[in-house]
Amino acid sequence: MTLTDRPELEGLGNYKFGWADSDVAGAAARRGLSEEVVRNISQLKNEPEWMLDLRLKGLRLFGKKPMPTWGSDLSGIDFDNIKYFVRSTEKQAASWDELPADIKNTYDKLGIPDAEKQRLIAGVAAQYESEVVYHKIREDLEEKGVIFVDTDTGLREHEDIFKEYFGSVIPVGDNKFASLNTAVWSGGSFIYVPPNVNVEIPLQAYFRINTENMGQFERTLIIVDENSYVHYVEGCTAPIYSSDSLHSAVVEIIVKKNARCRYTTIQNWSNNVYNLVTKRAVAYEGATMEWIDGNIGSKVTMKYPAVYLMGEHAKGETLSVAFAGEGQHQDAGAKMVHLAPKTSSTIVSKSVARGGGRTSYRGLVQIEEGAAGSASTVKCDALLVDQISRSDTYPYVDVREDDVSMGHEATVSKVSEDQLFYLMSRGLNEDEAMAMIVRGFVEPIARELPMEYALELNRLIELQMEGAVG
Amino acid sequence: MGLETMPVSKLHAESSYDPADFPVPTGREEEWRFTPLSRLKGLHNGTAAPTGNVVVEVDAAPEVTVETVGRDDSRIGAAYVPSDRVSAQAYASFEKATVITVPREVVASRPTVINVRGLGEGAGHGATYGHIVVRVEPMAQAVLVLDHTGGAVYADNVEFAVGEGATLKVVSLQDWADGAVHVSHHHAQLGKDATFRSFVVTLGGDLVRLSPSVSYTAPGGDADLTGLYFVDAGQHLEHRLWVDHGVPNCRSNVTYKGALQGDGAHAVWIGDVIIRAEAEGTDTYELNRNLLLTDGARADSVPNLEILTGEVAGAGHASASGRLDDEHIFYLQARGIPYDEARRLVVHGFFAQLLEKIEVEEIRERVLSAVEAELAR
Repeated sequence: MTLTDRPELEGLGNYKFGWADSDVAGAAARRGLSEEVVRNISQLKNEPEWMLDLRLKGLRLFGKKPMPTWGSDLSGIDFDNIKYFVRSTEKQAASWDELPADIKNTYDKLGIPDAEKQRLIAGVAAQYESEVVYHKIREDLEEKGVIFVDTDTGLREHEDIFKEYFGSVIPVGDNKFASLNTAVWSGGSFIYVPPNVNVEIPLQAYFRINTENMGQFERTLIIVDENSYVHYVEGCTAPIYSSDSLHSAVVEIIVKKNARCRYTTIQNWSNNVYNLVTKRAVAYEGATMEWIDGNIGSKVTMKYPAVYLMGEHAKGETLSVAFAGEGQHQDAGAKMVHLAPKTSSTIVSKSVARGGGRTSYRGLVQIEEGAAGSASTVKCDALLVDQISRSDTYPYVDVREDDVSMGHEATVSKVSEDQLFYLMSRGLNEDEAMAMIVRGFVEPIARELPMEYALELNRLIELQMEGAVG
Repeated sequence: MGLETMPVSKLHAESSYDPADFPVPTGREEEWRFTPLSRLKGLHNGTAAPTGNVVVEVDAAPEVTVETVGRDDSRIGAAYVPSDRVSAQAYASFEKATVITVPREVVASRPTVINVRGLGEGAGHGATYGHIVVRVEPMAQAVLVLDHTGGAVYADNVEFAVGEGATLKVVSLQDWADGAVHVSHHHAQLGKDATFRSFVVTLGGDLVRLSPSVSYTAPGGDADLTGLYFVDAGQHLEHRLWVDHGVPNCRSNVTYKGALQGDGAHAVWIGDVIIRAEAEGTDTYELNRNLLLTDGARADSVPNLEILTGEVAGAGHASASGRLDDEHIFYLQARGIPYDEARRLVVHGFFAQLLEKIEVEEIRERVLSAVEAELAR
């Protein structure tokens, strides 16, 4: 029996974050992309000349570069119908109470102010539409010289560091969507951690799209100086509309000698968001970069967090988990480029497809000449819970050095009858049993998440798996 | 919803008998990006004149019939439609095809050997296009050896039609002279409960690009595709596997292992598998291992897996590339075995499991001594 003939399952995919606020700013915003739009954004933000030039270059390259023909079907994106910049409030708030009521309610419902009150996080940024509306960092970290601001403020107040690193990891012409982001970027986080500072509790950002046909193009730049550590967590949600929105972020991270950076994403966009993101980190000598990437929402996600291992003993790690339900395509993976000797990388990818959804693992491990003594392991597991879903694996390995070890392994399995029977004989119903098996399947990744996110992930799995048994 | 408007799979979406249906490759296409087009001697763009000299001689088992036929024979192209430019070019350009038939319920008493011999020096003068059809009728069994030697620029298609309950075991040796160029498609179409065993050994030639593929017409088909390659300095040896599971309860297993040594040695292995929505109960596994023996060698290994149903018996793939394990060498050296000998033993161990699968004794010996000779270089 397939899912499609089970009418009681129609209420599935009950996306909890699908409400929309009243939308004055969004309704007034103009659609489409032109040089004028780009100049306007830059002018509104009072940007220096070099940034405007870079934006215009991005716009030119965006026009020139072809749409990617591999990966997901992107033909549904109507670039002329997208709103490229929506300013939701005139001024960034210093406390939650200063925010317009609609926006504050949104973040209340998402539970962000509560988490801040409980000091579960060291700093918060909340981005609503194109700009960051709320921002706070703990005083003790500020005293140590940690910078955690939105990217627009970063450019205004720390132009020297900003200019040195902006676009250095992901150049303006890297790919069509990186060009687009460079042209119209707004918001995002700018983080600088000075040498020898250990930021023990995560910094957190929360991204929300409210307007229909909105394009959110945040730009995040993180620099972790020598011997430091930072953990950055981002979450994303949007309302459910009948026509599509676009999220196309660029995240650049520089991890210097012996530093460590961990970047956690729980992407839970509604099922009408195209999520096309370029994320890349460079890791220098002895540095560690970890991507923890959870893709649960969106209509189409194409995201392959990358680590360029530049110095000896640099280490890259990606843990990725993807869920695809009806109408969703999660085309996610990772990219590891070994450029120095004795570097190591690990990719662990877990995916679950159900209800006709499609998950694809797409990865690249490249070991360049000179990266002797490097090692890489890639492991991807896919779990299929019905007959109508799809799972693909497209790993790519390019080894140009003999003194390396490289392994890739993939398994695709269905939930076994035995496991279900075992759990049900102990009194669980079929849905609970299924959810428990799926939780066990993604556990290696869930345990790497901050506690509240691990709980959130478990809850999302339960929602996703509800009635998934066919 | 965009997902439905796309072709089900982008893997091997196109096929045609007419080369004009395939644009001339530029090297940017997914299926051509690893292949050095400049070394194809014009096979890919229609400029390779059919003036080469390659002879095909068959030493057949007495129960097996061998025919040389013209292009209009209806058995040609029955089991296979070319899926890329060179394959279509070969299909459009060959003059005579060899058709080998193992009659119904016959068990061939000895291997049938097809010698494909290039008479050119190195790449020779001009290209040759060939076509071979092997038909194993229901319940028949046969062993076949395809032996490629000499110098040539050769493009060909080989069709294996394995009937209901029949068994075909094929060993294909690419033991070309230095400088030879060979682009080939081997397609096996398996009937109900048919068994197909393919063993590919690629050693010689400047550029060899061999694309073995399997499709099934009825449940119960069982295919094992095994390969062994040894790549020397400057050689480009490429194997592109494609298994299309379109019917329920079939099995496939792909195991390819290669060793690389010398500057510019380049191995490419692509392993594509699709399990279509109808193909419930499929069991498939793919494995590729590359052993890099020296600096300057490069191995590309891409296993792609697309699964459109959750009702699979098993599906997976694994790929690993690495150098000789120092610990293995150390272990042997600690027992008084000199380095060169230890290295030889480890490479032997790497290939041993595969070599056991070669049905024909003489061929196994020949491959073993070829590996031996490569290691002694």
